[in-house]
Amino acid sequence: MPRLKSPDDLYELREKLKQERDQRHTCVTICSGTGCIACRSQDVVAEFEREMAEKGLEDKVALRRTGCYGLCERGPIVVILPERICYLGTKAEDVSEIVSETLVKGRHVDRLLYEDVETGQRIVRLDDIPFYRKQERLLLEANSLVDPKRIEDYIAIGGYSALAKVLLEMNAEAVIEEIEKAGLRGRGGGGFPVGSKWRTTRDVPSDPKYIIVNADEGDPGAYMDRSILEGNPHSVLEGLIIGAFAIGSQKGYVYVRQEYPLAVENTEIAIKQLEEYGLIGKDILGSGFSFTVDIQRGAGAFVSGESSALMSAIEGKVGEPRLKYVHTAVKGLWDKPTCLNNVETFANVPLIINNGSDWYGRIGSDNSKGTKIFSLVGKVNNTGLVEIPMGMSLREIVYDIGGGIPNGKKFKAVQTGGPSGGVLPEGMLDIPVDFDRLEKVGSMMGSGGMIVMDEDTCMVDTARYYTDFLAHESCGKCVPCREGLRQMLRILDNITSGKGREGDIELLEELSEFLQEAAFCALGSTAPNPVLSTIAHFRDEYDAHIRDKRCPSGVCKDLIAYQIDAEACIGCGTCARNCPVDAISEVEGENTVYEIDQGKCIKCGNCIDVCPPKVEAVVKISSSVLLESA
Amino acid sequence: MKMLKLQIDGQELQAQKGTTILQAAKSIGIDIPTLCHSENLKPYGACRLCMVEITKDERTRLVASCVYEIEDGLVVKTNTERVKKIRRMIIELLWPSLTGLAKEYDVASSRFWPKETECNLCGLCVRYCSEIRKLDAVYFKGRGIDRELAIVPELARECAFCHQCHELCTGGWIVYHSDQAF
Amino acid sequence: MYLDEKGAAGAKTADVLVIDDEESMREGCHQTLEADGYRATTAQDGRRGLELIETMHPKVVIVDLKMPGITGMEVLAEISKIDPTIVSIVITGYGSVESAVESMKIGAFDYMTKPFGPERLLESVKRGMNLNEERKAAAQPSISPEAGEAVEGPALDQQTVALKSLELLGQYYSLGLDKRDFLDELVNLETEARFHAETLGWIKEREKILREVLQNLRVVDEVIAQYEYEKSAVLQVMLEVQRRLNWLPRHALKWISRRLKVSLGRLYSIATFYEALSLEPSGAYLVEVCTGTACHVRGAPQLNATVSALLGIQPGQTDSNMLFTLKNVHCLGCCALAPVMKIGEQYYSNPTMKKLEGIFDSLKREKQDYAKVEVA
Repeated sequence: MPRLKSPDDLYELREKLKQERDQRHTCVTICSGTGCIACRSQDVVAEFEREMAEKGLEDKVALRRTGCYGLCERGPIVVILPERICYLGTKAEDVSEIVSETLVKGRHVDRLLYEDVETGQRIVRLDDIPFYRKQERLLLEANSLVDPKRIEDYIAIGGYSALAKVLLEMNAEAVIEEIEKAGLRGRGGGGFPVGSKWRTTRDVPSDPKYIIVNADEGDPGAYMDRSILEGNPHSVLEGLIIGAFAIGSQKGYVYVRQEYPLAVENTEIAIKQLEEYGLIGKDILGSGFSFTVDIQRGAGAFVSGESSALMSAIEGKVGEPRLKYVHTAVKGLWDKPTCLNNVETFANVPLIINNGSDWYGRIGSDNSKGTKIFSLVGKVNNTGLVEIPMGMSLREIVYDIGGGIPNGKKFKAVQTGGPSGGVLPEGMLDIPVDFDRLEKVGSMMGSGGMIVMDEDTCMVDTARYYTDFLAHESCGKCVPCREGLRQMLRILDNITSGKGREGDIELLEELSEFLQEAAFCALGSTAPNPVLSTIAHFRDEYDAHIRDKRCPSGVCKDLIAYQIDAEACIGCGTCARNCPVDAISEVEGENTVYEIDQGKCIKCGNCIDVCPPKVEAVVKISSSVLLESA
Repeated sequence: MKMLKLQIDGQELQAQKGTTILQAAKSIGIDIPTLCHSENLKPYGACRLCMVEITKDERTRLVASCVYEIEDGLVVKTNTERVKKIRRMIIELLWPSLTGLAKEYDVASSRFWPKETECNLCGLCVRYCSEIRKLDAVYFKGRGIDRELAIVPELARECAFCHQCHELCTGGWIVYHSDQAF
Repeated sequence: MYLDEKGAAGAKTADVLVIDDEESMREGCHQTLEADGYRATTAQDGRRGLELIETMHPKVVIVDLKMPGITGMEVLAEISKIDPTIVSIVITGYGSVESAVESMKIGAFDYMTKPFGPERLLESVKRGMNLNEERKAAAQPSISPEAGEAVEGPALDQQTVALKSLELLGQYYSLGLDKRDFLDELVNLETEARFHAETLGWIKEREKILREVLQNLRVVDEVIAQYEYEKSAVLQVMLEVQRRLNWLPRHALKWISRRLKVSLGRLYSIATFYEALSLEPSGAYLVEVCTGTACHVRGAPQLNATVSALLGIQPGQTDSNMLFTLKNVHCLGCCALAPVMKIGEQYYSNPTMKKLEGIFDSLKREKQDYAKVEVA
């Protein structure tokens, strides 16, 4: 592999690669993100390789394993370029038909196309599918154009030209100014202006300086960073090198969760390729600037997302947050000035350099520029990754892109910001999604988790869920976080198991305020948000649990029971066969009917799921009803 | 050394740069309660008992006085209602470890479930063993609400014969357990 | 007479002999050992060292591997010829792990990397003295069951075990070859054989465990070398060891602690802090049920209850056959497929009870078949 010694070398290589790509006009892209791999997209790839070899199509049609397409629930996704024909849920056995019909004859395989729920119409092009129509995929679009394991793909679509521009045509000051003008804010949670963070780090008169990519995506229910790093690691690394140049750092780290093995692997490969091409190392592109990157695997701790705790982890210590009265930009990794940004933040940088801050400034809302990727999950029809310009309303995201709530259920709330965020009820669906507006209503942008909840989701259980998560993910150092969360969890446990008392809500509020005031780090001070926001918007649900010992959504295990309606039961025994603890047995009598032994029942709900739809003999009831009848 | 001017509870004073609020307050006879602090160990900032209200550039906020270094023109209040509220909550949460303070802060009982061990996890023994004894025989095991104190099995013998950290112990755990582990 | 030889003049025996061409090293070791109550003596090169071994029969010999003239390796080889009960400990320079490993192969019991402190020296010598006693006891010929039982006792090191196995084997065969009165002896032999077979089996079991430990320590050494002995890489080292061994055994932690000079206390607190590290061995299959928010609202608690009931274990537990370990993880990052379960590298989206039964059954069968093949 030739070392690129100047921007001209890079441009020359790019032209060559482009020509190679153009030779094969048609390209079959197969999503190889984790979601699609889980649905066996690997088998689809293998089948395409075999079929195409058999039909002698290899010279005419290219095959590419790409990163995540976003509509993960409908994977494996196959998109045929340049027409962008999109096949969903493709199985290995569908491949021969796709090859013979679409690739050879140019016809569509209708049954694999997206079907519009309302009109029943089939949609051919990816971009016409409602899920994609309203999105603005500045970052995710490149996922479909590159094989993440091939740097050549990234270079062919113009990759590393922003780096060349920065190194040879701009100085550090100009780069920072451009980022500031673009109004880029950190995508990791707080939304801190990136330009000013870079400037602070650069201005500290101390060397060496470090720069870190935070890919320790700890929010449960969010996987944006995973998809970028898996699908297009070079976009992040290019942003990282530009950032390093701007702040004057020669050493960078990518701190990535070890639970994301594919992200680790693809990043490792990318760094190796960069070294081979000389795009990291000494004297990059003949500019005199030198920079190296190491991967650090995160060992699984949500608190490591906190910047100083993450730095402790890199230093090989327990990931406890440190005293932050002096900012990490001044005293960070090994007490040296350190700049830390999130994966998505870095991925935005090359875009801004290539297209200019004016262009970038036109996307998004007043104080929140650009796009944001959300992981739109939970009780919504189209689950997956969506990228939207900031300022779009929650309603548009949930209904227009997400396709609304499945099974005709009623919307209840959407949760944003992960464990540090809050829930937003129906009445707030029209607020535009940006950093400031979300914070104003008691939630936050967070890293981009967006969990939709329907009428079957219990809000007290949701608060308990997050509190339990945080109680175990807190480092346990300071008294407010450790002892405060311990007690909050106890109270919520009691409420959800029917042992709540009058005054519990007020006690929760008092503890919440205490945590906000006194906790050591942001994990602790934002920890009460899920509790406070559920109390604010769904106090009636708390009251139902505490006063009536009833869970209105039928979620809290101790407050519900499953029963078989003897009148409706047809005695098919499906429920008994699907009970993991053998709690269901035949009742002796004339007709065969079944009943549930409440003492044995673990309330897994399998029986209600498998009871034939027309029978519906298994019912969920409030356990207090059971007590009364007993 | 540069001297900085500040005000604590209405009293003007000067102190060297690098002094913590806690030290500065002590120098003029103002006592701020602490639990996890020891003059011989590095500041830790975990118990939050020493939190005080500071005002700087018209912005008022709460900081842990054991770690916050003084600044020129800083106005500190060590015993406001806001601060007392926090201390009272800590006393309740660590009940009955801080009964001495409880009287002063008018706390008669705790509304919470009692802790499961006598340990306050103040970390004094852990830090003593690490910073001064340089042995690391006691360590924090686990995290979050499951965090507890533990003795390295391989070093239990030395632990049983040392006892140097005993007088620092605020809850009693290490005093009871250092011999038993061996 | 070598004038600088401490304690050699007059004394007929010694506990410890230190052979090193470096005076400060000899001096330091000598002082430390004497202060701790050992009778120590020193030699400044290999030739003199061997002379002293012949005459004084020390229990433990500490020898520097790098010396002019006769090298440490050569001394080691000679020692085992002179008296196999002598325990040898080698001193190596920083970073020369390979030669240390080489020396262990030809009989060294332990090695100390320069620079080392008095605690390290005393600890090693103490263990060496114990081993010497064990070796001496084992060297007494024993064919009676009573003497055989003396083998049982504190953990043995690998060398002793190997040595004892060889001795027992030798005794067994020599009995069979030497006797003329065939019939009587055959009965005797059978009894003996049964007893020795038992003892051998027991020793073999130990040896197997020790081999495993040794293998694990080699893995640790490889990983540490990969991270260039960098102290700050300790978390990465632990993660890699965890990945390769599937857990962090205590001996591995001790080895990491010694190699990277990071205190054991810190390693324990790191190992218990991070989710990915485990101080317990896990089953052959790690069953991870995601409890991320997306999974939670789409039925992860139900999935969890079902999996838990089917496997008969709670999250965090391993079944008694060491087949399945059930773990709750916070987010697998497959939110669109919620609720998700993962076994090994395979993800399962919202599996039904019947599907789960099928998955677990086939995994159980797979393992049984594997065991059968191994036996065959």
